[in-house]
Amino acid sequence: MAENAHAPPLSPKITPEELAGMIDHTRLKAFDPPKRIERVCREALEYNFASVCIEPVFVPLCAKMLSGSSVMVCTVIGFPLGANSSKIKALEAKAAVEEGAQEVDMVVNVGFVRAGMDAEVLAEIGGVVDVAKAGNAKTKVILETGYLTEEELVKACKLCVQAKADFVKTSTGYGPRGALPREIRIMRETVGPNIGVKASGGIQNFRDAIELIEAGANRIGTSASISIIEGYTWATLTGAWFSKESPCWKCPSRKTNLSKVPKELFLYYKKKCQSCPYNKEFNKFYE
Amino acid sequence: MEQDVVDADDGVFGWNGKIVEVNLDSGGSSIRARRLEPEIAKKFLGGRGLGVYLVNNELKPGVDPLSPENILVFATGPLTGTAFPTSGRHAVVSKSPLTGTIFDSNSGGFWGRELKNAGWDALIVRGSSSEPKYILIQDGAVEVVPADKVWGHSAKECTKTLSEMHAGSRVACIGRPGERQALLACIMNDYGRAAGRGGLGAVMGSKNLKAVVVKGTGSTKVAKEDEFKAELAKIQRIINSNPVTNDSLPTLGTAVLVNLINACGMLPTNNFQEGVFEDAEGISGEKISETILQGRTGCAGCPIQCGRLTKTSRASGEGPEYETVWAFGSQCGVNDLERVAEANYVCNEEGLDTISTGSTIGCAMELSQKGMLEKRFGKDAPAFGDAERMLEVVREMASGETALGRELGEGSLRFARSHGMPGAAMQVKGLEIPGYDPRGVQGHALAYATSNRGGCHMRAYLISPEILGQPCLVDRFRTEGKAALVKVMQDANAAVDSLSICRFSSLALSPAHYARALSLITGIEFSQEEFMLIGERIWNLERLFNNREGFTKAQDTLPERFLKEELPEGPSRHKLVKLDEMLDEYYAARGWNREGIPTDETLRRLGLR
Repeated sequence: MAENAHAPPLSPKITPEELAGMIDHTRLKAFDPPKRIERVCREALEYNFASVCIEPVFVPLCAKMLSGSSVMVCTVIGFPLGANSSKIKALEAKAAVEEGAQEVDMVVNVGFVRAGMDAEVLAEIGGVVDVAKAGNAKTKVILETGYLTEEELVKACKLCVQAKADFVKTSTGYGPRGALPREIRIMRETVGPNIGVKASGGIQNFRDAIELIEAGANRIGTSASISIIEGYTWATLTGAWFSKESPCWKCPSRKTNLSKVPKELFLYYKKKCQSCPYNKEFNKFYE
Repeated sequence: MEQDVVDADDGVFGWNGKIVEVNLDSGGSSIRARRLEPEIAKKFLGGRGLGVYLVNNELKPGVDPLSPENILVFATGPLTGTAFPTSGRHAVVSKSPLTGTIFDSNSGGFWGRELKNAGWDALIVRGSSSEPKYILIQDGAVEVVPADKVWGHSAKECTKTLSEMHAGSRVACIGRPGERQALLACIMNDYGRAAGRGGLGAVMGSKNLKAVVVKGTGSTKVAKEDEFKAELAKIQRIINSNPVTNDSLPTLGTAVLVNLINACGMLPTNNFQEGVFEDAEGISGEKISETILQGRTGCAGCPIQCGRLTKTSRASGEGPEYETVWAFGSQCGVNDLERVAEANYVCNEEGLDTISTGSTIGCAMELSQKGMLEKRFGKDAPAFGDAERMLEVVREMASGETALGRELGEGSLRFARSHGMPGAAMQVKGLEIPGYDPRGVQGHALAYATSNRGGCHMRAYLISPEILGQPCLVDRFRTEGKAALVKVMQDANAAVDSLSICRFSSLALSPAHYARALSLITGIEFSQEEFMLIGERIWNLERLFNNREGFTKAQDTLPERFLKEELPEGPSRHKLVKLDEMLDEYYAARGWNREGIPTDETLRRLGLR
């Protein structure tokens, strides 16, 4: 289950500018006034991030501030629970695109995915993709991977491909956990090279970001964008920042918390841990 | 005053280009101004680097640190006195009487900026006066003044008296521990700030030098003002966007670390016998905020303002910081926050290093626990958990009025040796290890062992990546890559200390930021690589000094407890420091031979040979 403990450490060649160009500079807080979002836009322009990812109400403000620049406006749909009706999600996406959003990150109905309601999931994603494409916007589908088994994740990715989504995305940042390299690999293997994979949730520093990119992500969603880019200059001094760590460190089994996920999901991951070849060597979580 | 040709308007930016030397030997003492050679300034910057260069250059091998042959250097850096955030610091450098190594001690507050504004990059104090004196610097005028009015005073009283006598000035001084040359004595400034570690207060006392009073009306010139202003705005944004510098430190002060380090199972407890303190919450930054906090404070030009103004039921003052909370708290098994704060006030008022003082008391408590002190001290020997006795012992160490106080004032290694149990002293090269159990952090353990000034958490501060995740999180229990990380952080910090900048800024900023600011201020181009090379040069010069003083690979080690005894419980249990897995790799990364001696090739590359 745990990633190969004996793989060599990463030695990234991506420049800080390239890394910045892969970041959705994110600010999704319930209490932010417009001035705070203006600061997000200024920061995105300064660092040339890929986009700002903000709440739908701020789309017009950001579209105005970022007009003419290469920084896109990205917003969230059906956020954060994904439990709005498909009709409402499509309407929300349409409004966002009309107001200037160039990317919409929709939260899939996680319950439908887990229940195997493939047709409903397909229709829901398709509904948002259609209205987005009509406005020349791209759709990312947030799968909330922390609530899914690996089999469910693969199936959800395939539905996204079928619905012609532009990206699959891991997390809202409000779910049980954030993005991990293992699931990014699974997502990339499933969707292939032509669809985007966005890692989001819990990405705090440059090591997190680079590991996820090396695993197959081509977009990073984070609110720690500035810390990541400014801290990345340390990586030019030594590659030791990317030295091996215990494989359990970033394993979904370790990150799955019984208080935050359904019991059957917790047991699924615990079983994987117990049958993992690294269980004896590294696993200290059940001592 | 004698003066080499020093032209104040010679177009120097960042530096003043001037050093003042005071020789206390001669009856009236002699004072001389000389140039800070531009080549030296470029190679060593200022602060720690300049002080290390001067001490290394002047001292013959084997000098007794408490003899007139030792020198004491107070040094600022090229960023001191500018608008760069956290630039209100200075270094004090000498040969330490506690460790015998070269030693730089770093202090904040306002004194350093005052010295810089007075037009001096550094003050060198030589010799020893036959009578107590203080040095008075008022811009370009420097004199040596009788200190009979303040000799015998605490550091607090001395600061008050001299500040009133010389209105508008800043005072750095010693208290009674420094006067009697106690090895844990420090040099206080601005009441609550300290050049704390290494016993440099004793060096000052050995020279019969009570204080250095400074008043400066000038300012530091910046070469590229407009670009520097723009860079400052960016620097401020970065500091504001970092969760530690923008939130944790301002909100809860450094004691925010107490709960975090305890949760990692590495809060040293009962003299490092355990790593989890049951009532850590009771001495935490959160508890300080809820109970004794009166307000925040900070050093010159600092936006972080991590300082705490506090008041207990009996006294008030500044602090306590994390290290002090640990040293008088869990290190001594004490969960009484008020007594911990009061112990801190005593140290500030009298001029004692809180880390070494608390650690030494904890050492004594373990000796007492094991029955080693009963014969000599009876019921006066302190015991773990006895908060009132802990506070009394601090007072005894400050006053020197009891045998216990005097003996403890010489540090844990000498104390533990004299009572038959040297292994109870948690020290490296004679300097007490601070409040992070190394068994929980392999990289930080290596940093302790290889520190040029002994048990120091600030030389490399691997706590930052191994616990705080700044600039990124690395696995604290693994040894792979730690040698390289320790080297990089030691070099970076040596250079940062030579700018005279607060290390907290480096939780948000990287060497690239400092190199750019240095370039804009001085008008001389420094790349990130050159900046790091300066730090490496300073580190190697320190190593050369220590080598010639007899320090070898044998001293690059840790107390046996960390190599052979596991912590009994908590998230860091069952861990030992795997020093042998890291030390050879560290030497290789440094370009040293297997005995830890810098090779000729390395020294030539660094311009040291």
